[in-house]
Amino acid sequence: MAKEMIAMLLAGGQGSRLYALTQNLAKPAVPFGGKYRIIDFPLSNCVNSGIDTVGILTQYQPLVLNEYIGNGQPWDLDRLHGGVHVLPPYQRASGSDWYKGTANAIYQNISFIERYDPEYVIILSGDQICKQDYSDFLKFHKEKGAEFSVAVMEVPWEEASRFGLMVTDENDKITEFQEKPKNPKSNLASMGIYIFNWDILKKYLEEDEADPESENDFGNNIIPNLLRDERKMYAYRFSGYWKDVGTISSLWEANMEVLDPEHSGIDLFDEEWKIYSRNSGKTGHKIGPDAVVENSMITDGCRINGNVKHSILFSGVKVEAGAEVEDAVVMGGTTIKAGAVVKHCIVAENVTIGENAVVGAMPDGENSGVATVGSGVYVGDGAKVGPNAMVSNNVKDGEEQW
Amino acid sequence: MVNSNIDALGIIFPNSYDDLVPELVADRLMASIPFAGRYRMIDFILSSMVNCGIDNVSVIVRKNYHSLLDHLGAGREWDLTRKNGGLNIVPPFAEKTVKVYNGRVEALASILGFLKSQKEKYVIMADANVAASFDFGAFLEQHIESGADVTVAYTEEELPESFKNTEINSKSLYYTLDLDGQRVTNIKINSKASGVQNFSMNIYAIERETLIDQISQAFVRGYVYYERDILSPHLVTLNVQGFKFEGYSARISDMKSYFDENMKLLDENNLDALFDKGQIYTKIRDDNPTRYKTGSRVKNVMAADGCVIEGDVENCILFRGVKIKSGAKVRNCVLMQDTVVESGADIDYVITDKNVVISENQKLQGTDSFQVFVEKGKRV
Repeated sequence: MAKEMIAMLLAGGQGSRLYALTQNLAKPAVPFGGKYRIIDFPLSNCVNSGIDTVGILTQYQPLVLNEYIGNGQPWDLDRLHGGVHVLPPYQRASGSDWYKGTANAIYQNISFIERYDPEYVIILSGDQICKQDYSDFLKFHKEKGAEFSVAVMEVPWEEASRFGLMVTDENDKITEFQEKPKNPKSNLASMGIYIFNWDILKKYLEEDEADPESENDFGNNIIPNLLRDERKMYAYRFSGYWKDVGTISSLWEANMEVLDPEHSGIDLFDEEWKIYSRNSGKTGHKIGPDAVVENSMITDGCRINGNVKHSILFSGVKVEAGAEVEDAVVMGGTTIKAGAVVKHCIVAENVTIGENAVVGAMPDGENSGVATVGSGVYVGDGAKVGPNAMVSNNVKDGEEQW
Repeated sequence: MVNSNIDALGIIFPNSYDDLVPELVADRLMASIPFAGRYRMIDFILSSMVNCGIDNVSVIVRKNYHSLLDHLGAGREWDLTRKNGGLNIVPPFAEKTVKVYNGRVEALASILGFLKSQKEKYVIMADANVAASFDFGAFLEQHIESGADVTVAYTEEELPESFKNTEINSKSLYYTLDLDGQRVTNIKINSKASGVQNFSMNIYAIERETLIDQISQAFVRGYVYYERDILSPHLVTLNVQGFKFEGYSARISDMKSYFDENMKLLDENNLDALFDKGQIYTKIRDDNPTRYKTGSRVKNVMAADGCVIEGDVENCILFRGVKIKSGAKVRNCVLMQDTVVESGADIDYVITDKNVVISENQKLQGTDSFQVFVEKGKRV
């Protein structure tokens, strides 16, 4: 049976700017929002939009991601025909290659796509926090009679030059593409989410592959080629919450925005558009008799006996009596021992913060760094981790890291 | 075949002791009573079985079992969606000659054909009114090593008042054991004795063939109760041994014990003890993490995911999806799934069933010995 549209999710990114957090896992597997991982968003969007076939293209440190996706059951993507498939690079009779670029990753999986004989293919990116109905996007694509559409966000003009921009006419038809231009002609930033008619995508992927000069990238090669040939290209304006969480500060910010759904627009409490995830299965969390919890999100398995303010605690986090946690993102299984002070920072999974240790600091004038502690790290008793530090090795008792 | 699991199948009787908690089983059964924030009673015994390597479990339901079917589904959360074995829910099979079963004997008789066709050497039977992490591995090991015909698990504790108050002819029989070493010499039915007793947990290990023989014979004689009619009269010839369970257990015997056993979990030592033998699985709801909004005040609370807290909460167990609006005061309460306490409401010593709404400025006051209970779906 042919599928109307299937999704291809680019999840190979290393996320090198998240350094300490992506030492052992791919960026899409980075935990987010108390019980999710980044990839839960595009996957849940797919299933909520009615897309039941998703190919996930992995390359960098895929172990955690593979295990997390499993058979796709948490997202209801364990299907007889379709469902979720993890697609790493593989060896063929003619040789083998790593994915050379985003376009090459799709090119290498043309035979996967053809099994489902889709009319449309949506290309998604595994490093964004966004709740989006892809069926609306497809409706737009069909109404415009487009061959290619890209989802775009209006961004403030002064920031426009940081993005890939789509210049459009009054019918949203794309007339020009500017990649991080000095003089932006548009403020419509590409979200890196594309819908292609499959025949068009296949043609351009094959053509791109044949070009030895090409970087095999959607933004740098495929889109300019489509423009050159004056294909029917449209920009679909998306106005909901969207955040590229490629840096420590944007990841921290997006987590903090979860605490303020009324203003930030990222509402994880929406029954109509649930974000699914693989469950920790831990028992309910426990707030002790002397704990103070203010404006925070707390997940199953946590034990809170200290003070927690404006923070996100993932499953199984322990905050001992007398510890202080503020403006912090603390990932699963981490223990914050008595008297420790953890502020304005990201602490990854299974970290131990020793007694009276200090991690991060509240912003003070120009100094507003988000301290980051990588997974499994032991921060010794009385140790100090400064607000700009990125720690991926153990810090001894009493030692300081800036 | 590689022996990766223990050589026993499980049988659970989910309706046992239903009549001790009539309010809670108005439209469910003992096994599906919500407990400990995010679980149902059956999750404990079922997960314990799975954690010990039992992957063939039959649940013989009697009545009011829709909620249990909904909860268990195909058994996926317990890893019991198996080609061989797995979860097997047995509803009553009404025939002209067979009525809905009363005791364990009739229940087992209804699955005799199934039992005969299984391969496991042993059978483990349990009720669902006790929440515990039970080590069936150790249990079965003792059974095999002692050469017993039947092994029964018990706890050493005083009988709950609620049991002692049951009428002599109540259908909910409970059993205390006299022991000589580990050998059971006498099974007392509905004893009123005070002081610490060997209180049966109604968890049994027995060889499958032996059980089939016992049930076949008992059924033709019209026997109903396994303990009263099969074990008790034959303790001289039948080698019945006791297995003392020393772990943490929570036994639901009436509304008060339901409240107390929930509240006891506010002590982290109890909470840890209840979950000390691996994970307890339950149906996944995909709730978001619990949100404590600015202005909320919480002390000594156990809450599951999906709650939104804006008001004051102290000494409470909150199940999944509970909403406490700003200005509401909630103390010493057990609030089941999706209960909403609207602003200005003030409740103390209250148990709410699922989907209850406590409306604005409503006051409800129970006491430590008698809690106000609000039934499922009610708006107060």
